[in-house]
Amino acid sequence: MEKMARVTTALGGNTLTGRTMYCHLDAPANAISVCRDAAQVVVAGRNIFKIYAIEEEQFVEKLNLRVGRKPSLNFSCADVVWHQMDENLLATAATNGVVVTWNLGKPSRNKQDQLFTEHKRTVNKVCFHPTEAYMLLSGSQDGYMKCFDLRKKDSVSTFSGQSESVRDVQFSIRDYFTFAATFENGNVQLWDIRRPDRYERMFTAHNGPVFCCDWHPEDRGWLATGGRDKMVKVWDMNTNRAKEIYCVQSIASVARVKWRPECKHHLATCSMMVDHNIYVWDVRRPYIPSAMFEEHRDVTTGIVWRHLHDPYFLLSGSKDSTLYQHIFKDASQPIERANPEGLCYGLFGDLAFAAKESLVTSDSNRKPYPGDRRHPIFFKRKLDPTEQFESVSSSALSVFETEPDSSSMGWFVDTARRYALAGRSLAELCDHNAKVAKELSRNQVAQTWTMLRIIYCSPGTVPSANLNHSIGKGSASLPLMNSFNLKDMASGMGSEARLDRSKGENRSENILLDSSTTLITNDENEETEGSDVPADYLLGDVEGDEDELYLMDHENAHTEEPEYVLPQEAFPLRHEIVDNPSGPDHLQDKADSPHVSGNEAETVSLTPVESFSLISISHTLSESRLPPDFFSTLVRDMLRFYAEQGDVQMAVSVLIVLGERIRKEIDEQTQEHWYTSYIDLLQRFRLWNISNQVIKLSTCRAITCLNQASTTLHVNCSNCKRPMSNKGWICDRCRQCASTCAVCHHVVKGLFVWCQGCSHGGHLQHILKWLESSTHCPAGCGHLCEYT
Amino acid sequence: MFVARSIAADHKDLIHDVSFDFHGRRMATCSSDQSVKVWDKSESGDWHCTASWKTHSGSVWRVTWAHPEFGQVLASCSFDRTAAVWEEIVGESNDKLRGQSHWVKRTTLVDSRTSVTDVKFAPKHMGLMLATCSADGVVRIYEAPDVMNLSQWSLQHEISCKLSCSCISWNPSSSRAHSPMIAVGSDDNSPNISAKVQIYEYNENTRKYAKAESLMTVTDPVHDISFAPNLGRSFHILAVATKDVRIFTLKPVRKELTSSGGPTKFEIHIVAQFDNHNSQVWRVSWNITGTVLASSGDDGCVRLWKANYMDNWKCTGILKGNGSPVNGSSSQQGISNASLGSNNPNLQNSLNGSSASRKHS
Repeated sequence: MEKMARVTTALGGNTLTGRTMYCHLDAPANAISVCRDAAQVVVAGRNIFKIYAIEEEQFVEKLNLRVGRKPSLNFSCADVVWHQMDENLLATAATNGVVVTWNLGKPSRNKQDQLFTEHKRTVNKVCFHPTEAYMLLSGSQDGYMKCFDLRKKDSVSTFSGQSESVRDVQFSIRDYFTFAATFENGNVQLWDIRRPDRYERMFTAHNGPVFCCDWHPEDRGWLATGGRDKMVKVWDMNTNRAKEIYCVQSIASVARVKWRPECKHHLATCSMMVDHNIYVWDVRRPYIPSAMFEEHRDVTTGIVWRHLHDPYFLLSGSKDSTLYQHIFKDASQPIERANPEGLCYGLFGDLAFAAKESLVTSDSNRKPYPGDRRHPIFFKRKLDPTEQFESVSSSALSVFETEPDSSSMGWFVDTARRYALAGRSLAELCDHNAKVAKELSRNQVAQTWTMLRIIYCSPGTVPSANLNHSIGKGSASLPLMNSFNLKDMASGMGSEARLDRSKGENRSENILLDSSTTLITNDENEETEGSDVPADYLLGDVEGDEDELYLMDHENAHTEEPEYVLPQEAFPLRHEIVDNPSGPDHLQDKADSPHVSGNEAETVSLTPVESFSLISISHTLSESRLPPDFFSTLVRDMLRFYAEQGDVQMAVSVLIVLGERIRKEIDEQTQEHWYTSYIDLLQRFRLWNISNQVIKLSTCRAITCLNQASTTLHVNCSNCKRPMSNKGWICDRCRQCASTCAVCHHVVKGLFVWCQGCSHGGHLQHILKWLESSTHCPAGCGHLCEYT
Repeated sequence: MFVARSIAADHKDLIHDVSFDFHGRRMATCSSDQSVKVWDKSESGDWHCTASWKTHSGSVWRVTWAHPEFGQVLASCSFDRTAAVWEEIVGESNDKLRGQSHWVKRTTLVDSRTSVTDVKFAPKHMGLMLATCSADGVVRIYEAPDVMNLSQWSLQHEISCKLSCSCISWNPSSSRAHSPMIAVGSDDNSPNISAKVQIYEYNENTRKYAKAESLMTVTDPVHDISFAPNLGRSFHILAVATKDVRIFTLKPVRKELTSSGGPTKFEIHIVAQFDNHNSQVWRVSWNITGTVLASSGDDGCVRLWKANYMDNWKCTGILKGNGSPVNGSSSQQGISNASLGSNNPNLQNSLNGSSASRKHS
């Protein structure tokens, strides 16, 4: 009959049928064992000892072996084993050290057969000889193993491990006389049953107790051991020294290990604590179980394959008082759910991609069945029940890099670096930024800057008389400024040499941007200057540019254009004069402001003439041209558009450049959101200076305080080495300027470098220069200064 | 153009995750071989493994970097039911260890009773927080109250999602208008139809996370989920990797209209759905501006997706995953377009987007 089962199993079907099922036991199980016909299972525990028949749909209790009036400790089983030759013969190991055999063939209710009370402490394990009907082996906590002949009253031989407790004993399937014993000290011993005086071989298998071992059923001399160190190791015992050939890492201590029938490299394990699952491992892939049964709610104490030659049915008992039959196709397969790929987008548009090698190499091979991953793997397994999937997988890791010149985020960095956000007139800022955008071939952005300039700075369609008036004056009395603008324009049109020069200037202006340059003064300067500029000249040029260069944007430009051409005929909007830049006010402001840019000095000097022209212009402005406020909703929507498109850089840049003009239009929260997003992005690219500039220029309270929060500077006087309590730069103790530059003897504000040896230092530039010529301290202290 | 640089990762089993740090100069990989490796980019652009260590006693599913403000910090999660936080120690390295940075475990988060499938640090503005999700359907949010002490993490929230979780993503928006939000994907493959993507939002009043939305249309197992970098958008973009690639937008409905105190309501639109991978999609990842989405599937390819000015998402590139240089005219076309198009998000997309899609669809 067994022969039959075996054949049919090998063919793929099998005589065993059933489903995943369980039955509730009255008490926690400690061990289970299966009858050789695979139709019955015995469950033993401290308070339970029952035989269940395994039927198609359910477990049926067949026999309760715990009989007798008063419960005896002899029934408190730590282990149970069913003889594989004789279906009537059972043995149990009791927690009180008794080994009991049971004969199911007995006619009486009490099936107890023999009682061996030789061990002094709990018997952890009992084991029948695989082929010898009467030979029983036991291993106990007391450190001894005993071999019993069931025909005799006492043990025939006692083996002393000479060490701590015996956790498991297993007869070898390969050698008639050999058995393996595992110990709490991490050792495994091999014994010859005929030589009780001394073990044949001993080796250390684990750190800490070895809880279990199992010989490979296919006669290979392989021994699997499991220990508290969470490892399962497979040893090749054929060689002189036991050789570790596989090592499986489990996530908890390994309490039981059982080779899977018909699968050379598979074994099942369960854990002693923490983990309630049963895992089936392919030892060749030692990191991840190939299958997992998750039904138990408490520690699994016994696992056994239902049939010697069937790899699909696993029985288990647990401390949660259940007995389960697990079917392999219901197992969860962690590796099937595991991601075989990793993918990450880098900062500069590079992509890191790791993929299972089989996915990326054998593309053509796997095309025929795409999506096969979705089918549970047991279908495949059915085809070849013994050995399934590839033993070891590995991944190919590669990084797709964008070429340096076409780095997909290069534009962002360039733009951030080159944009001018403050320190010049609005018109210049817009022009400059438009130019930057154009050079990075971001035409739409360039266009936007140009339009902003038109909306906010130039009089637009100023009547020609007026224009001439201002131009005449401008060109006569403002040569410097005019030339500056011209230069700017020319470079915008592509003159390379000038372009470089102006770029340099922008840089230096950005860097030299002083804290004293507040946004407000800038704004006011810009406005007045804006109305000063020979506007039609600029406007004409820019428009010419557009027509020639940006065919793509033509539509866009035209949709906007009518909006400001229209008002020429339209009813002039009445408008509070306060909103428009009124000349005299601003000139006064400007005279007060301590700004020292070259342009401005020029404008200031021209106050008397200018004031006249300004007034006249602002007059005509309100009549002939829509005020900038008219556009603010449009500009607002445009900024929103850029933000939604993921170009928060544009949104923030425009926000800063336009300042008060647009600030009111956008709610504080949105602005703050834009600022934080942009700053975060800048910091990703390590553009610290720019990020700080943005923080400084922002008008959001939440943003400006970013640099103030939890920033404390402790300053010590360089003369008297005492902390400077004062706010100024003069030490109130020694009455001297604390941080003077050793080269120019002026007070250093901002970047101050000093030698850590002599604490002299000064302006970065000065010290750099000094060190080119001398290595001695410029202060004359004689120290050989070192700067790192 | 993309240049493929193949790296000998030398992991003993599958690599499950790759992650760049905040500045894109470091990379971490994690594998089933229970180890994590850290790679640093040299001046020449080569990636060098500077650390490799055993992190868990099970497959390591995910690895993720904290914001550098908190130090060089990694979090990993594993099949062994734990998540761990690691910090790099510099200095005090002897000659033997020179060049190899030294990572120490700062904490192990052991609350899960099943495999921890994802771990993500919260956006920086929320402080030092991280979220984990586990196969039994619980999302846990931890916080390190003292950012200087990475060994102290307290469990702040436990969200029960009912479904086995496979991936999480924080909403990266730094806006005060957007409350902290986390999207959870489930790889539950039981036949019962239920939404496999759930979105939880923090409620200031109850101080709890409550379910804000479920994406009812996603009923297949979800393998990865990712919010796009927000960058000042008023709405959120969410990419989902399931049997295909899907992109959703979530527009918050104005708070005033909804009853105050309740969770934010969202107008959810699916803006793209692609089955070009012809198989399960495993990963989705956004570029830094949230304008290009990369997805990888069982076909072993990475595909790049991008919207044109009409908000039509198109394939703009295909990258073969075997590290060999990309060739073949069709893919080359797509890729060169991809890099070109990113210079100018709005103008060129319409052109290359459609041309690329014609080629690849």
